Amino acid sequence: MAPWMASGLIYSSSLALLAGSITIINITTRTFNFAVASMATFGFYIAFTCVELYGGYPYQYYPLVALFGSFLGLVCYFGLNRHLLRRKAADITLMMSTLGYDLLLLSFIQMYVDYLSFTYRLFPRRVTMNIYDFELFGVRAAAIILPIVALAFLVTLHIFLTRTKFGIAMRATIENPVLAGASGINSDRVYMVAWIIGGGMASLGGAFMAMAITGTPVMGMYTIPLMFAGAILGGLNSLYGGMIGGFLIGVTEYAGVFYLSQRFGPWVQGYRMAIPLMLMAVTLLFFPRGLAGIPLGKVWRGLTGKKRGASL
Amino acid sequence: MKSDNNMMSGLKNLSERREIWVALVIVILLTYLLISRGVPIIMTIFIDFAVFAIITMSLNVEVGYSGVPQFGRVAAVIAGAFAVGAIPGRLLAMYMGLPFGLDYASDAINFKIVPQINELLASSFLLSVGFILFSIIIAALSGAAIGWLISRPAIRLKEAYLGISLLAFGDFLMWVGHNWSGLVGGSVPIYVPDPFRFFGGNRFTVIVMVIFVIAVLIYFYLQKVVHSPFGRSMRMIRDNDVSAAAAGIDVVKVRTQSLVIGSALAAVAGGLYVIYTGTCTAFGFQKLTWTFWPWAFMMLGGIGSNVGVLLGVFLLTILRTMIVIYRSQWFGFLMAVGIDPLWLEFTLLGAVIIGVILFMPHGLVPERIEPMLPGKNVKKIIDRRQ
Amino acid sequence: MLKINNLNSGYGKLQILFDLNIDVPEKGITVVVGPNGAGKTTLLCSIMGIAKVFSGDIIVEDKSLEGETTHNLAKQGISYVPQMGNVFAELSVMDNLQMAGYLTPKAEANEKAESMTEIFPVLKKFIKRKAGTLSGGERRMLAIAMGLMKKPKLMLLDELSTDLAPIIAEKVMMEVARLRDELGITILMVEQMAQRALEIGDTAYLLVSGEVRYAGKADDLLNEPQLCSMYLGIKPEEETIADVEKPPLKGSE
Repeated sequence: MAPWMASGLIYSSSLALLAGSITIINITTRTFNFAVASMATFGFYIAFTCVELYGGYPYQYYPLVALFGSFLGLVCYFGLNRHLLRRKAADITLMMSTLGYDLLLLSFIQMYVDYLSFTYRLFPRRVTMNIYDFELFGVRAAAIILPIVALAFLVTLHIFLTRTKFGIAMRATIENPVLAGASGINSDRVYMVAWIIGGGMASLGGAFMAMAITGTPVMGMYTIPLMFAGAILGGLNSLYGGMIGGFLIGVTEYAGVFYLSQRFGPWVQGYRMAIPLMLMAVTLLFFPRGLAGIPLGKVWRGLTGKKRGASL
Repeated sequence: MKSDNNMMSGLKNLSERREIWVALVIVILLTYLLISRGVPIIMTIFIDFAVFAIITMSLNVEVGYSGVPQFGRVAAVIAGAFAVGAIPGRLLAMYMGLPFGLDYASDAINFKIVPQINELLASSFLLSVGFILFSIIIAALSGAAIGWLISRPAIRLKEAYLGISLLAFGDFLMWVGHNWSGLVGGSVPIYVPDPFRFFGGNRFTVIVMVIFVIAVLIYFYLQKVVHSPFGRSMRMIRDNDVSAAAAGIDVVKVRTQSLVIGSALAAVAGGLYVIYTGTCTAFGFQKLTWTFWPWAFMMLGGIGSNVGVLLGVFLLTILRTMIVIYRSQWFGFLMAVGIDPLWLEFTLLGAVIIGVILFMPHGLVPERIEPMLPGKNVKKIIDRRQ
Repeated sequence: MLKINNLNSGYGKLQILFDLNIDVPEKGITVVVGPNGAGKTTLLCSIMGIAKVFSGDIIVEDKSLEGETTHNLAKQGISYVPQMGNVFAELSVMDNLQMAGYLTPKAEANEKAESMTEIFPVLKKFIKRKAGTLSGGERRMLAIAMGLMKKPKLMLLDELSTDLAPIIAEKVMMEVARLRDELGITILMVEQMAQRALEIGDTAYLLVSGEVRYAGKADDLLNEPQLCSMYLGIKPEEETIADVEKPPLKGSE
């Protein structure tokens, strides 16, 4: 496997998680969570700190990373989002509030990075997490492990949302919050769980991403347009769509840059971000509300021949 | 009717009072800084204020009056900055027989050319003034072009989708500038000719005054716009675009016009900024500074109110400057563990945004609901009919 | 069972109900009728905490409902069957019933779901289908079944008969009467099909433009020809299909 393919797989898996995070928080609480940027960066720095201080491989700290991400999500929900939801704030206000939260987190990340440099004599401002990886079947282990983890996430979430009572309750609340409330489902709890899951996915996604690109304090801020692009591409009505959309965006960027730079020259590298963004722009051109217009569920069922099922 | 009048004047008093209080706080802070730190700090604050006041007022046109979620403000600023960085200097270079093509921006040549241009500018008042005016015009034109470009998708996309697309667009322009070295040097900053060199030692003072005056002019211009039929159309569309269309307003045209005006103004600020700093580089235009800070200024001041915007910019600019000045005195405990207190600027930014949303959603100076006709005109009409 | 005193409510800044006083006696059917836009749905939404109560009390069994969240009311045994959005279209019939039985323990919920499918065999047939693919009448059956899953003491029904073929609407009305007769459930029912509802109902309120125009026994309202023809479209002289094939009225046989 060529190195760019390995990086591409890792990068795409990370975007799958990140776009999925944005999607699940958006379909439950109408909030475009801008803070995925810093939650992702935080996730990466947790993994980095643990590996530097305690050794081992990044993978073993991923549960801690996810936990921390969930915590960040909960803080956002209880401190900010829930209040605004009760106030029936507009979508744009909800998004702006997460922007404020993101900037707060960013400042903490920067200060933390300063502290790390000073106290532990580390160099956390530009980190290549690659060096902490090992090799598996001749490629970087991350290229194999991470897509599997992302897929496992997808499957687990599917089972959760379709087979467990609370998961179905989440889908019910997403579709019809009034009826869900009348059925006795506590929407407060549903939103809380959405933020827990979303936060965990965001931080995990950040830890993944650092295995593909250079880790910096503004890594999240730098890639946030792509995370949104993935969620929008997937159509903001389906968690699966989001994860697949994120993955596609990553693939488009890496494959696109590879083939275009072969064709037109290495200057294409500088514009790598533009390629998936162009995809998002074109998508929005024909589907101003994202791919929500295309009934993904029907297409999926058509492809697999299944008859039952809800859109998630 | 009478009780309404009382209520209106009561409310008026209340909101007027807030503006006055905030203005008082600003004056106190400025005086304190003047006494303790001297004039240069005040000048720096004034010029930061002027530049960002223009940008935030331009944001207010699009967000506050037209309801566009403009998270790509930096795009227009970049358009103006790059235009001024790339074109006026090249024209003078062409006139002087110096390289004016792609070479102009190359790092090997640019630093040799610009000082020569500066000498030419310093020798002629007329030329300097002409350079400034030309820069402003060309910045405004490129801003207007960007504004027009943005208006095409702005019609079709809604809310958060539009906001994100504009955000991505701003980033995209920054990347173009960073990669295309022929434009403004790519990753290496290029120098921008300095038309204020004519004033020698007083350069800084003059530039502060000029930009400040421009900001004030723009304020008065926008006040006129807001109170014009066009301004009313904008607000009607913001409140309910379907009703506005039903009332005969060409929604597309008005939205396009407001985006064009807003972007042109922001571009002018960008152009003035690169003249002030004397350099132009893509990475100098990060969205944190040029999109998000203006949003915070606007939200604190009060979306839809230009006076509020000015107060918001002033107050936060002073606070930001104070963080920089007093970083060792106030935040020594941070520096002791190696933390640079300058990051607190972002903490402040985030806290302001969150604080305003939670506690003061309408900002310091809420937009006043102004009747279409002044009260005395209405009275006249009623009297006439009787 | 349910007392509403001087209720003023609406949505956002828009007031819909003005100084409403309603008394819903236990184990009976209270019918609320009136023209479109009268605020009938808003009344039910106010009780359930969906609409905004500006002032007034809503008291169930001597306990005020002020400030209660919708899902807590469900917990307390108040079941609400909305007119629109009354099933989860994206979920299967099975999942819908499961959601309706969200608050009951699993074994009991399964039992209830079983008995629902006995009462409404059509649900058994479509148990795995997405609820959105069911016809209007079938969806309403599912909605009623969902309403029953909670073993409610008070049921709020919003225009059950809308969009239903007359024969099916008749069947639904009979079910509602049966709920009161056999299960002793208190029912507050908003209805468009005024005549039939008033026939099976005990107490009646006529709501016009957010105010109560008539309060009293259901039979007595039927005997007010002016009100009936002005607001309810009932012309007492004409025979309706319901007259001809009228099933036994309450209290007889």
